[in-house]
Amino acid sequence: MQEKINKVRFVLGEDIMRLAIIVAFLIIMPIASPYFLNMRNMMNILQNISLQGITAIGMTMVIITGGIDISVGGVCALTAWIAASLMKSGMNWVLACLCAISIAAICGAINAFSIGVMKIPPMIATLAMMNMTRGLQTVISRGSTLTGLPESFQFIGQGSIFGIIPLPAIIIVALYLGASWFMKRTILGRNIYAVGGNPEAARVAGIKNNRVLFFSYIMCSILACIAGIIFVSRTNSAPATLGTSLEMRAIMAAVIGGTSVTFGGKGKIMGTFLGVIIVGLITNALDLVGVSAYYQQFIQGVLVLFVVILEAIRSMRAVRQH
Amino acid sequence: MEQKIIVNMKNITMSFSGNKVLNGVNFELRKGEVHSLMGANGAGKSTLIKILNGIYNAVSGEIEIEDHKVQIKTPSDADKYGLAFVHQELNVCNDMTVAENMYIGNWIKDQYGLYDRKATSAKAKELLDLMGVNINPDTPVGRLRTAEKQIIEILKTLTRESKVVILDEPTSSLNEAEKENFFGIIERMKKNGVSIIFISHFLEDVIKLSDRVTVLKDGINNGVFHAGEYTKDDLVVAMMGKKIANEVIEPIKVKKDAPIVLELQNLSSKKKFSDISFKIHEGDIVGVCGLLGAGKTEIARAIFGLDEYSSGKILLHGEEIEKPRPDTMIRKKVALLTEERKSEGFIPLLSIKENSALSIMKILSSKLGIINRNKLEGFANNIANQMTVKMSSINQSVVSLSGGNQQKVVIAKCLASEPDLFLLDEPTRGVDVYAKSEIYKILREEAEKGTSIVIFSSELEELLANCSKIIVLKKGQITEQVDVKDLSKNSLLSMIG
Repeated sequence: MQEKINKVRFVLGEDIMRLAIIVAFLIIMPIASPYFLNMRNMMNILQNISLQGITAIGMTMVIITGGIDISVGGVCALTAWIAASLMKSGMNWVLACLCAISIAAICGAINAFSIGVMKIPPMIATLAMMNMTRGLQTVISRGSTLTGLPESFQFIGQGSIFGIIPLPAIIIVALYLGASWFMKRTILGRNIYAVGGNPEAARVAGIKNNRVLFFSYIMCSILACIAGIIFVSRTNSAPATLGTSLEMRAIMAAVIGGTSVTFGGKGKIMGTFLGVIIVGLITNALDLVGVSAYYQQFIQGVLVLFVVILEAIRSMRAVRQH
Repeated sequence: MEQKIIVNMKNITMSFSGNKVLNGVNFELRKGEVHSLMGANGAGKSTLIKILNGIYNAVSGEIEIEDHKVQIKTPSDADKYGLAFVHQELNVCNDMTVAENMYIGNWIKDQYGLYDRKATSAKAKELLDLMGVNINPDTPVGRLRTAEKQIIEILKTLTRESKVVILDEPTSSLNEAEKENFFGIIERMKKNGVSIIFISHFLEDVIKLSDRVTVLKDGINNGVFHAGEYTKDDLVVAMMGKKIANEVIEPIKVKKDAPIVLELQNLSSKKKFSDISFKIHEGDIVGVCGLLGAGKTEIARAIFGLDEYSSGKILLHGEEIEKPRPDTMIRKKVALLTEERKSEGFIPLLSIKENSALSIMKILSSKLGIINRNKLEGFANNIANQMTVKMSSINQSVVSLSGGNQQKVVIAKCLASEPDLFLLDEPTRGVDVYAKSEIYKILREEAEKGTSIVIFSSELEELLANCSKIIVLKKGQITEQVDVKDLSKNSLLSMIG
């Protein structure tokens, strides 16, 4: 019995705190704003969540390897814009999306090459990629927004199953379940933890560290691209500003979800899922209460710093114990 | 004339996870004295020094500095009391000049409070001249040889007007001429009233330099010797114990016609080792012994493909291995236990289960790379029991285990791939006596099953107790290959020292 309780505690652990925060939001917000429980607002939250939520999966993987990827916003904007423009030029939408995903994969591979092979710090390598992708997107789009995409394509972002459950919600839940299973149960998933937890020990154990890094960074870029495609499909437009500060929100979700940026090898996909919901609720609450976008950016920054400091204190304590 | 006591450590006791590493140790240092600290690996020397440095806090005992009781809780406390530590690893900034390195964090300022480069350089020159060191203070430290860098590290302590300087194995990387130079500096420091704690494995250096020698053994003070009143043998017996020093151990027997598993032919690596040739037979246990910097670790890492080598051949079962890599070597049934358990041995946050299976996940998974949990648990339970790991369950994280049990998990990880050749680099460092004997037992059992084992170690007892043959390394070269049965500890000690 005791063992079972321990197991429950082990599985839920810190997640109880996150669930409690979500429940608190769901209790307090309807009182604070009459619009909160409105169907449209709920959809709004969900749609916001789908962009940063899908990106945060890849971000979590990358952070667990001991790295970070701040190019996700740029990659998302560039590849989604390319997908949209290919469709507009008459290409089949499935093919257009596959092209975009391939370009994202190349971006991820370049990131992994700089980081794994050239040993450039992840922050710098992906900062360069962020500027390259953002810059390229500005050049080819000339800052314009593309609209009027094929109807069949719009189904991904706007369609629903049984008439109520929006397709993006199903996609995001499926991706989270899949990624969580992948990280827990496959060799590659466990190797991501091993490489992040102690790269030298992983190498000695015969793990090919660079292969793991390539997979993680490519996956991170591809997921950012998928998130962008879904966004474009839902809004029927590919704006030049797509994915602005997406990296910040994805990192915030991962960190709130318990992924450690202090050292690699620690984090859970399902923790990030809760983190994404919390970030979505916070953003929405600020919107509803009428906080301006400028303040919101500031508040986001404060929140990330706060959570990272909490995490740093926890890991310092853990280090001292050993 | 007895000088006054400057550092007095009284009755120091220390334990790690219930394992006593220091038990009521007393150590005193007088003004202007060179007091050496000796002991076999694991005797407690470095623990004692880390307590004085404030890196560890002793469980009980007192430290007095110039007759005042003090609390040294952090390294900055030690600094405050004028204690300066020079560690084995050099902490220099290669791109800064000699003078800047000497005054780092202690900059000389001009009247406006700005950094005064000229004055720093001039003061550094003064000190270099005083100590008879012929180095230009404006040279970037990166251009100096290792021995010179070490001297800069020692002189750095003088710029802080430290009363006590603690030197950890300062002579291990010096050649004979550099040593003479170094001894001269120590003499001059003594004359200026600096007291020195000298930690070393080199018997000759200790005897030459020390006013007194304290020998630690298994965490207790096993004798204090005054200059001129002892012999080399006295120190060896104090370090090893009379009984063990004379004990006869049955070495492992190898079948006469056992095939050769590993052969090195003139393996060389720039600056690290040269012309290394030896053969290892099936089911044999061979020791490679040498002090820090002799090239043991580098050879082991080169065979396993962790570091590169510049020339020579590695033959495995008679077949040449070109460009070894850890993953291919594991496939060829070679395993390496690395020297640094914490930084290279295991993944701290993962469980015993996952760490022990790290190299063989493929065998425990489906073709698509999906892990079979039942297989994994069965395997991990089995090997953890075989290795007698003390744990609450295989899901426990490895960091929460004691040093000895962590090491058993790392050995389990290596043995999981069922190696034909098992290289172990310092396999029992920081491991308690009981776990040590268990590890030796496991290794002997493996050898009897036909695994060839090479132990790279600076711990002589361990090599004498387990190996049939010992290869002696000195400064990156093999000086001798001897059968254990013709050997005593004393002769081995003098071979490497």
